[in-house]
Amino acid sequence: MITAEGLSKRYGPKTAVDDVSFTVRPGTVTGFLGPNGAGKSTTMRMIVGLDRPSTGRVTVNGQEYRGLRAPLTEVGVLLDAKAVHTGRTARNHLRAMAATHGIPASRVDEVIEITGIGSVARKRAGGFSLGMGQRLGIAAALLGDPHTLILDEPVNGLDPEGVLWVRNFVRHAASEGRTVLLSSHLMSEMAQTADHIIVLGRGRVLADAPLSQLVEQWTTAQVRVRSPRAVELGELLVAAGAVVQGSGHDTIDVTGPEAWWIGDLAAERGIALHELTPTSGSLEDAYLALTGDAVEYRTRAVPEAGAPIPEVVA
Amino acid sequence: MSAVAPAAPALAGGYRLSLPRTLRSEWIKLTTLRSTWWSIAITAALTIGIGVLIAFALTSSGQAPRGLNGIMAVVSPIQFTALLAGILGAIAVTGEYSTGMIRSTLTADPRRGRVLVAKAVVLAVFLFLASLVMFVISAVLVSAILGGHGQSLEWGQPDKVILPVLSASVTMAVCALIGVSFGFLLRSGAGAIAATVGLLFVLPIMSTFFAFAGESWKWVMDAANYLPLSAAQNAILPSDTAPLSAGVAFLTLGAWVAAGLLGSWVVLRSRDA
Repeated sequence: MITAEGLSKRYGPKTAVDDVSFTVRPGTVTGFLGPNGAGKSTTMRMIVGLDRPSTGRVTVNGQEYRGLRAPLTEVGVLLDAKAVHTGRTARNHLRAMAATHGIPASRVDEVIEITGIGSVARKRAGGFSLGMGQRLGIAAALLGDPHTLILDEPVNGLDPEGVLWVRNFVRHAASEGRTVLLSSHLMSEMAQTADHIIVLGRGRVLADAPLSQLVEQWTTAQVRVRSPRAVELGELLVAAGAVVQGSGHDTIDVTGPEAWWIGDLAAERGIALHELTPTSGSLEDAYLALTGDAVEYRTRAVPEAGAPIPEVVA
Repeated sequence: MSAVAPAAPALAGGYRLSLPRTLRSEWIKLTTLRSTWWSIAITAALTIGIGVLIAFALTSSGQAPRGLNGIMAVVSPIQFTALLAGILGAIAVTGEYSTGMIRSTLTADPRRGRVLVAKAVVLAVFLFLASLVMFVISAVLVSAILGGHGQSLEWGQPDKVILPVLSASVTMAVCALIGVSFGFLLRSGAGAIAATVGLLFVLPIMSTFFAFAGESWKWVMDAANYLPLSAAQNAILPSDTAPLSAGVAFLTLGAWVAAGLLGSWVVLRSRDA
């Protein structure tokens, strides 16, 4: 469980993170989304005590990171793959990290095997590809078998097999009840991995909601209808109060009524349908709707099912 | 899916931070870099090489000068090797900043004071032990060379061999800590090395320019006696004519270390990593 309360970070006149509050819950994969410079990395660095918040606080399982007695067993963190001395071998890097907690060398070899870097473990990290560096960073995050994982762009530079591995890995970790917070630029990857999304923009929380709800709220569900008498059907639908957009001589996109209703209407009028497909927006659409327009930064909130959620609206 | 390691058996518990463990981590970090061993190898070559060279030079006329203090040949190379110690200390810190390793270090152990202490202790002990070995080897060789002329080192008298060698080794550790301090204060490799070389090497030379200046500039010369390597000379080979007594010289070295590490602690604690 990660809890941020009124977290702000200012660098001189620039505010990188502005009064951010959120909770990352165990047993779910929470995705951190936002444009570059939105404050994702800064927030993650504050969680693990590298940067000191200007105001507010952030805790992991109720404690500030700097006060943890065994941080590696509580939080595994991958901030960037380059947090490794280039002149040291991967295995020695992990040995040095493990030594701070008295974690045995057997565990070092274990995480090397888990992350599949055995073949390069005795090579110096400076020569690693981005993907290998990323795996080494993940290996370091796993050393203490932590309850909480914080991964900044974990799939950055990984090959498809590595991307799949990370996805399965974080899903599995969450299913074991661990807390997972990850950021990614890859929207489709995030859509497949995360259960819950926190969108940051200009240092503020723009949205904090389950993935499905976010997509539902910020995109428009439509029904694509293909019919030889599309124009005629379109006119009927408009008359019934639907919004209809033509997209081709025999195809219309209908917003408003659900697919079954359109189907029934067409049957009633004897209009043949060649296609009747409900389409919903993607996370990407939702994300762009949320972050794309400066005006919308301050206007729409995404209410969470059940509880009212704080700090959605700036 | 075998992605996640078994939790309980892999890590049964008892895994938490402590100073001895952070010390061990810093020891692993220092000894697993090639640059460390290169520095030590060059330091050893200079220490032993220059020492032997001086010994040969002293005896080149066929007989050693009367009343020669042979240990001077052993400890003289410190004027150069102290620089290497300082640079090694500096890059042990700045290497972490330039590579990003510092973020791994400070997330593994977020108690920054402890990280600073561990790094300082490891570098000081490492430099002390390595230097001790070099100086002893050099002393044995120098003693053998001078011994051919009846001037071998007087091992039986502590103040003739053992104390100077120990003091010189302490000086090497002190210089490493000065480098460590500049590393934490400046974070950049070039800056920290320049500052270390400036303090250890350049300032003493600059102060000599004032030897010809008038009485009103004498304070510069007096102040220069408290520069690290000037103080070290008086600590290693005390004499009644030296500007600083051995005690004051050691206190001065201690003050440099204390000031440097205190400044490092303030900066490390307050600045974002």
